[in-house]
Amino acid sequence: MTPTQGATPAVAFAGAAKAYGDVRAVDGVDLRIERGETVALLGRNGAGKSTTIALLLGLCPPDAGTVELFGGPPERAVHAGRVGAMLQEARAVPRVTVAELVGFVGGRYPAPMPVGQALELAGIAQLAGRRVDRLSGGQLQRVRFALALAGRPDLLVLDEPTAALDVEARHAFWRSMRAYAGRGSTVLFSTHYLEEAEAHADRILVVDRGRIVADGTGDELRRAAGGSRVSFDLAGRPTEDLTLLPGVRSLEVRGDRALLRTEDSDATVIALARLGAIRGLEVAPASLDDAFLALTTTAPVPEKESVR
Amino acid sequence: MRDYLLLETRRTLRDPGFVVGGVAVPVLMYLLFTNLGGDAGDWKTGAMVGMAAYGAVGSALNTGGGVAEDRAVGWLRQLRVTPMRPHQVVVGRALTASVTVLPAITAVLAAGGLVNGVRLDAWQWAALAVLLWLGSVPFTLLGLGNGYRLTGQTTGVANMVANLGLAVLGGLWFPLALFPEWLRAVSAYTPTNRFAQLGTSVATGHAPPGGAILVLTGWLLAFGAYAVLSYRRGAATD
Repeated sequence: MTPTQGATPAVAFAGAAKAYGDVRAVDGVDLRIERGETVALLGRNGAGKSTTIALLLGLCPPDAGTVELFGGPPERAVHAGRVGAMLQEARAVPRVTVAELVGFVGGRYPAPMPVGQALELAGIAQLAGRRVDRLSGGQLQRVRFALALAGRPDLLVLDEPTAALDVEARHAFWRSMRAYAGRGSTVLFSTHYLEEAEAHADRILVVDRGRIVADGTGDELRRAAGGSRVSFDLAGRPTEDLTLLPGVRSLEVRGDRALLRTEDSDATVIALARLGAIRGLEVAPASLDDAFLALTTTAPVPEKESVR
Repeated sequence: MRDYLLLETRRTLRDPGFVVGGVAVPVLMYLLFTNLGGDAGDWKTGAMVGMAAYGAVGSALNTGGGVAEDRAVGWLRQLRVTPMRPHQVVVGRALTASVTVLPAITAVLAAGGLVNGVRLDAWQWAALAVLLWLGSVPFTLLGLGNGYRLTGQTTGVANMVANLGLAVLGGLWFPLALFPEWLRAVSAYTPTNRFAQLGTSVATGHAPPGGAILVLTGWLLAFGAYAVLSYRRGAATD
């Protein structure tokens, strides 16, 4: 799992951009993923995760900038069998069994794993003889995971791999993913679950409106977003002056309770004590949710923005 | 490539729509059309060629339906992230069609020889099968063109309209002798008519006429261009 610095990175984006009409799905992304890293692409729906992945896999060319895998164009790495991918919108391939499909896809790669092993890793060994178009959504998702693994790729790309899985299947999935990553492969997965990103990635890239707005471990993101939150009962007290207190970065009022995000909880609490505003006072470390909200745009995106 | 061909052939043969529409229907229609209303004589041979051609056209077009379906479910996109080259996928699909037209041709010819007592020399049977097989290529390209351009449902409709329209107009179902003069003139330019002509000429002991080869080559180029343009458009959005 130790990233190999210095060698050609597994993934390198330089100023990559892709627009669909007026929508800038990917808006100038610079990004470098070293070999052996496990990286999460975290963002809301529509933040640009899937387009980033489409660019990375060479499914569409960037409008501007460059995208490279292992020091060359994505198509070359894909053709050389170095990339395995689990695509998000894929549905069941009709009239084929699980083992046939996984065996076929694995067989395109130079050094695939045995079909049984791929099915085992994906937790679907018992489904080998079943027709793919007769599986449940969760089973199908695991088939797609097996397709991504089957060729034993150097770079495994997983677009929202756990979206249709129940809790148990989700745990099994992450165990398998970690086992695979542990062999020295590079793994990139996208998710909108913060806990998954923190628990299973060495590094989190936060994507918002087509840009990478933060890059680091969960702890680093928390720090970047402001260290702690302090809350207390307002009891009818006005709130205008609270944002001026030392350390405070933002204020949120929930019912009669004020919630302050602060970089320096000690200074904030002392100042609150001077004001006598300490009823029901609580200090807690910022959650990753808070970090995520602080890093991404919370304002609702207008349904339609006319530029003409 | 061999694996892809095997996989797609297997998938096609598992499709009940293909087995019924592409094999059973031509055979049944052939037996019905030639055994209702007394002695059909020569028409037993003509209809055999016509229905084998009809079945081959249906199976060839069906390949396009498969492509539209594969696009819709994301299978073609999945293939694009494997080491397979895009052109290998297209060629593989076209080759699949060349395999899956064989059941229709074989079944109708077998019905002619075994049930309807059509008697031809061994070389005629062989040449007939080979010409029907080769002549189905333009229709495969038409089907692929539809499959890469249209959605699954519209591909199905487009293929059906093309299949029925070209079959009737080309005289695969009814003898051309029943057509009015002007329609016969139109029919001579249809790919289906010329496709069947390849077969009937051999069945009557002649070499295929140059006109048939000329017209079919024209359609081959036209449908080939259509398939290439559709593929470029379809591949850009998938």
